Amino acid sequence: MKKITFSIGGVHPNDCKLAADRPIEVLPIPETLYVSMAQHLGAPAKPVVSVGDKVKTGQVIAEPGGFISAFVHSPASGTVKSIAPRADLAGRMVPHIEIAVEGDEWAEGIDTSDALIAEIPEDRAMMLERIKNCGVVGLGGATFPTHVKLNPAPGSPAAEALLINGAECEPFLTSDYRLMLESPKPILIGASIMQKILGGPKCYICIEDNKPQAIKVMGEALEELGFSNMVVQPLLKKYPQGGEKQLIQAVMRREVGSGALPISVGAVVQNVSTAFAVYEAVQKNKPLITNVLTVTGDCLPVEKQHNYRFRIGMPLSYIASYAGGIPTEAAKIVSGGPMMGRAIANIEAAAVKGSSSLLYLKESTTRRWTESACIRCGRCSEACPMGLEPFLLNRLYKGGLTDELEKNAVQDCIECGCCLYSCPAGIPLLDNVRQAKLQVMGIIRARAAAAKAAAGQANK
Amino acid sequence: MAESYIVSGNPHWHAPVSTKRLMLDVIIALCPAVIVSFLYYGWSEILVMAESIAFCVLLEWAITRFLMKKPSTIGDLSAVVTGMLLAMNLPSGISWWIVLIGAVVSIGVAKMTFGGLGQNIFNPAITGRVFLLVSFPAQMTTWPVPSGFIHNVDAFSGATLLQQVKILGAADADALVSLQTLFTNIGGSAGEISAIALLAGWLYLVCRRVIKPWITLSIFATVACVAAVFHAVNPELYTGALFNLLTGGVVLGACFMATDYVTSPMSTWGGVVFGFGIGFILMMIRYFGSYPEGMSFAILLMNMAVPLINMAFHQKKYGRK
Repeated sequence: MKKITFSIGGVHPNDCKLAADRPIEVLPIPETLYVSMAQHLGAPAKPVVSVGDKVKTGQVIAEPGGFISAFVHSPASGTVKSIAPRADLAGRMVPHIEIAVEGDEWAEGIDTSDALIAEIPEDRAMMLERIKNCGVVGLGGATFPTHVKLNPAPGSPAAEALLINGAECEPFLTSDYRLMLESPKPILIGASIMQKILGGPKCYICIEDNKPQAIKVMGEALEELGFSNMVVQPLLKKYPQGGEKQLIQAVMRREVGSGALPISVGAVVQNVSTAFAVYEAVQKNKPLITNVLTVTGDCLPVEKQHNYRFRIGMPLSYIASYAGGIPTEAAKIVSGGPMMGRAIANIEAAAVKGSSSLLYLKESTTRRWTESACIRCGRCSEACPMGLEPFLLNRLYKGGLTDELEKNAVQDCIECGCCLYSCPAGIPLLDNVRQAKLQVMGIIRARAAAAKAAAGQANK
Repeated sequence: MAESYIVSGNPHWHAPVSTKRLMLDVIIALCPAVIVSFLYYGWSEILVMAESIAFCVLLEWAITRFLMKKPSTIGDLSAVVTGMLLAMNLPSGISWWIVLIGAVVSIGVAKMTFGGLGQNIFNPAITGRVFLLVSFPAQMTTWPVPSGFIHNVDAFSGATLLQQVKILGAADADALVSLQTLFTNIGGSAGEISAIALLAGWLYLVCRRVIKPWITLSIFATVACVAAVFHAVNPELYTGALFNLLTGGVVLGACFMATDYVTSPMSTWGGVVFGFGIGFILMMIRYFGSYPEGMSFAILLMNMAVPLINMAFHQKKYGRK
């Protein structure tokens, strides 16, 4: 099939897939796990257990705290030791349930066998319910609750395409790649389940061409399973291809309007790991308590790079020391890739559903450049996948011109990092654009609230 | 936690392309033309080049250091590029003090008074050249006989091909242009001697993705079209497309001066409009003006229009009309 890619902007960083040949290993469970109540987008979950309670692996320990929220399950069996705020990787205090691990005894009704269940149930409501009850969230980065995304609001256009995102366009990360190589069928069955829930749109398994092995393995598995209306779609390598809007544009040649949801153009995008989690939830009733994470970096020899299946709640420091400790050359530790990941301020933070890596970067790699004058080369706007002009937004931000910022679409920024990555003058474009975006989003929200209040007054 | 680690926003690394690297690429791209003019004019050309670079760099250093009281910016190599381009716009063998005045106008007036690299409205090297052209017309248009290592039997001094137009008329001047002109011109500024050497440098910049080709191509296309139309109407009065593309500073200007980041539009279509404006103004000056050559004036005039062009042409935004 013809390789395709998105048409606006994008950059070509070295992909550095150093851990690509390292099979997924299962991490042993430590003595204590700290389960965050905020491991999904939306409202934090509310604990439903008390200190001293005995819990089993996969048992619900917290329920959704709102419409956009998700269940959280115990990642091991043991005793609830405390429910208290604990610092996340950025150092923010978030409620955590501390579990003193006593073993790995699973709760009733969960299939822990390796048997592949290929037959897809008919009952759409049951499947959605299982996805919700198993706490499945999007594992491509945003951790948006999957059941909400698969059940578009009434009146939304019908889904025409389900895009399974295996682009893994972030350099260094290899967890999605390993999962595609090692569990191609569960991913495809998960995709087929979501296809059924959405009413049978065409399904594209999107994989970048720097992963030919994954394209091959997924293609073969698809043939064996014999799913119709599903294809493996190879993509030309370009960052940020895995961005929802970019992937939709690459495959469907449609653009999602500013502030609109993908379903407005008939698209639903789900990550390959999410498809795997959906498979486990629907076919095995297995809640989302594990995910795959890559331990990698430019200061680690290949034999010290790993892909691990971890349980949520494992402290990152535990994972790091199990992998052989933090290398001495590491100057920055990132959760996620080098383009869009988050710098880890607190290595004691617990792993969450969406954790994708421990990336160690050398000082020389990660050092910010000394800022010099803008030479108006236009590389930032050439690189911006949203077609924005970061140099202009930067200038408007410094002048405090929020109206102009809004007119120049600062609120459309997806914070992919292409502008700062490509600026030859080392200007902290994204830092400033992000601040500008926050200001403008605040203004837009305030305006909407005022309009709503005014409409309420008028109706009285 | 004993160790401390860097915490900052994404992205966490950087593309290996700095301002200095881009300027170095421009310097590399100019080298073929410098070598050809050295072969033609000999050491006197190298002397002018060395003087020009030295004056430009020293002036920028002195101005940042003593007037602006800021860290020196000469490390970004942009002053070297200005110095090279200024030298390429001068006849070889010109007096050192004229070069110095050119450098003062280029760096001191056109660049640093506006705040240095990135802030200037006008291309520094062209501003310097135009200042010298109107102040020292005699010295600036005295073209030496090539005295280097390659001797062209047909070489004559005193007037460039463009000046011949005003002396001999369009039809006779057209006849002087042959394929040979593509490789080596006869007389003229150092940088005008070999179109092929300049185009090779330009191609290097395009391939290295230092510049986009659209501005240059737009200038060439406009010059060719305007000249072809006028030539077709009256070949006795108006020189043809090939003549106008290969003579004077068109290739140097289109490849290296109009593509200056700071003084050209940021968007692709803005660049096309910018190039069209330069080509059109150039041809009007050549056909109807009293100056035989108009590339410098055309570029300076369009430099002024850049902020307007930038306002009119934006990138195509995702998901918006």
